[in-house]
Amino acid sequence: MNDQVRKKWLLVLAASGLCLATLVAAPGQTSPAATGPARSQTTAMAADPGEKVFAANCARCHTPPMTLNPRVTGTILMHMRTRARLCSKDQKLLLQYLAP
Amino acid sequence: MQLIDLRSLPGTIRLLVLPLCILFGSAAGRAQDNLQARTTAGYVPVISGGLAYIQNVVGGVQYLVPQINPVLLVPMGHSVLLESHVDFTGFFNRKDFTSGPYVGKVYKTTESAQLDWLADSHAIIIAGRYILPFGLYSERLTPVWIHNLQDIPLTYAIGTHPYGSGDGIMLRGVAASLPSATIQYTAYFSAQSSIEQLQAVRAAGGDTSIFVPSKRVEAGLSYQRTLDGYQINNEAVYLSWQPQRASVDLKAEYDRNHYGDGYWIETAYIPQQFLVEPNFFRHVQMVGRMEQFFVRNGGGNGLAGANQHRPEVGLNYQIQDDWRLESSYGRLYSHSGNSNTWNFGFTYRFIWPLWPGRKS
Repeated sequence: MNDQVRKKWLLVLAASGLCLATLVAAPGQTSPAATGPARSQTTAMAADPGEKVFAANCARCHTPPMTLNPRVTGTILMHMRTRARLCSKDQKLLLQYLAP
Repeated sequence: MQLIDLRSLPGTIRLLVLPLCILFGSAAGRAQDNLQARTTAGYVPVISGGLAYIQNVVGGVQYLVPQINPVLLVPMGHSVLLESHVDFTGFFNRKDFTSGPYVGKVYKTTESAQLDWLADSHAIIIAGRYILPFGLYSERLTPVWIHNLQDIPLTYAIGTHPYGSGDGIMLRGVAASLPSATIQYTAYFSAQSSIEQLQAVRAAGGDTSIFVPSKRVEAGLSYQRTLDGYQINNEAVYLSWQPQRASVDLKAEYDRNHYGDGYWIETAYIPQQFLVEPNFFRHVQMVGRMEQFFVRNGGGNGLAGANQHRPEVGLNYQIQDDWRLESSYGRLYSHSGNSNTWNFGFTYRFIWPLWPGRKS
C-alpha cells in the first residue's frame, strides 16, 4: 500500500473520530463513560470515593458486576489490584464500596 | 561484604536489582493496611473467567469456536495471591470446508501461573508465568467477555509473539497517585523456556501510562526487547478516552517492530437516551474499528506477509450483567486477497467462590 493510500485512510479515520466525538459529547447526554448498562451508575462525578475509583480504573476496561458475592470481593480485588495496578488506598476504597 | 557482584549479572537483570532491593527494604519495615476494616469482604478461593461460543465465517468457510477461560485465584493472607489462567479454545470446521462432518480440536494454553505479592502500597511483585503487558490489548482486553469485537487486531503479534506470556519476574504498580493524574508502571524480565505449556522467549520490557481522571484520558507506551535469536525492539503507544458526558469508549493503539507496524482505533457507543425504547437500547452496544498493518522486512513472525487493512463493525446486546450477545462484520483488504469475516455468538462471565466463607 503506497503512502497516498495510507494518508487517505488516516484522514478518513481522523475525520470519523472527530465527527463521532462531536456527536456523542453533545449536551443533554449526562450518562457516564460506559460500555455496559450497569456502568450508568459509575460516574466520575460520583459522591462515593470507592465509586470514583471504580469509574476511573475498573470501568476503563469492563462493566461492573451487578451482583458480587461479598465472600469473593477481597480475593477479586487482590487480583484486580495486580491487573489494574492500583495502590492500596484505592483497593481499600473499592473494598468499602463493593462490600460495605 | 558484597554478596553479589552486580557486574557479573546480565544487563537487564542488573536494572531490576536496585529497585527490588529498595522495595524489599521498604516493605519489610512497613505493615500492610488493615484492608478489611469496615467491609464485609471475604478472601475465599475463587474461580472466575469467561466462556463463549462464537460462530465465525471467514471467506465463506464456517468455524465453530467454543472457548472457556477459567482463572483460579487463591489468596494467602491479604498480601499474597496465587493465580492461574488457562485458556481452552476449540476450532471446528467442516471436513471439506463447505461440506462434510465437523472436525477440529481443542487447544489448551496456560496464559498465567503466577504468585502476586502486594509488597507495598505502590508496588506489586509477580513471579512465575504472566501475560506479557504490551499495549492496551494483550493484558487488558483479551478476556473473551471484555473485548467488544471477537477478531483480534492485525498488529496483536507485536510484543506478544509467539507465546503471549513470559516466565520470570515483574514489578508493577503506581508511581504517583494524585488527584490530577495517576502514573502506573510495569517492568519485567522473562527467561527462555521450552517446557510444555510454559514456553516463553527471553525478553525484557516495560509499560507506563498516565491517566487524567478529570478528562478520563489515558495515554501510555510499551517497550519490549526480545533477547533470543534476532534481538528486536517492540514498541507501542496507546490512548484510551471515555468522555464524562457520553457513553463512548474510544481506544487506539499503534504498534511497531522489525517486521511491521500498524494501528487500530475502536469506538464503542451505548445509546443511553434513545428516543424509542430507551430501556432496550441501553443494553445495545455499537462498535466500530478501523485498523491497518504495514509490512516491514517481509513481515511474518505472527504478522501478515502483506499489507492489510480491515474496517469492522459490531452490534452487541447485554442480556444481563453476565451474558452478552455478539455480532460483527469486517472486511479484510489484503494484497494477498480480500475476505469477509462474520461473527455471531455469546459470552458469559462468571465469579464463583470455591470455599464457604463467613456470613456477614
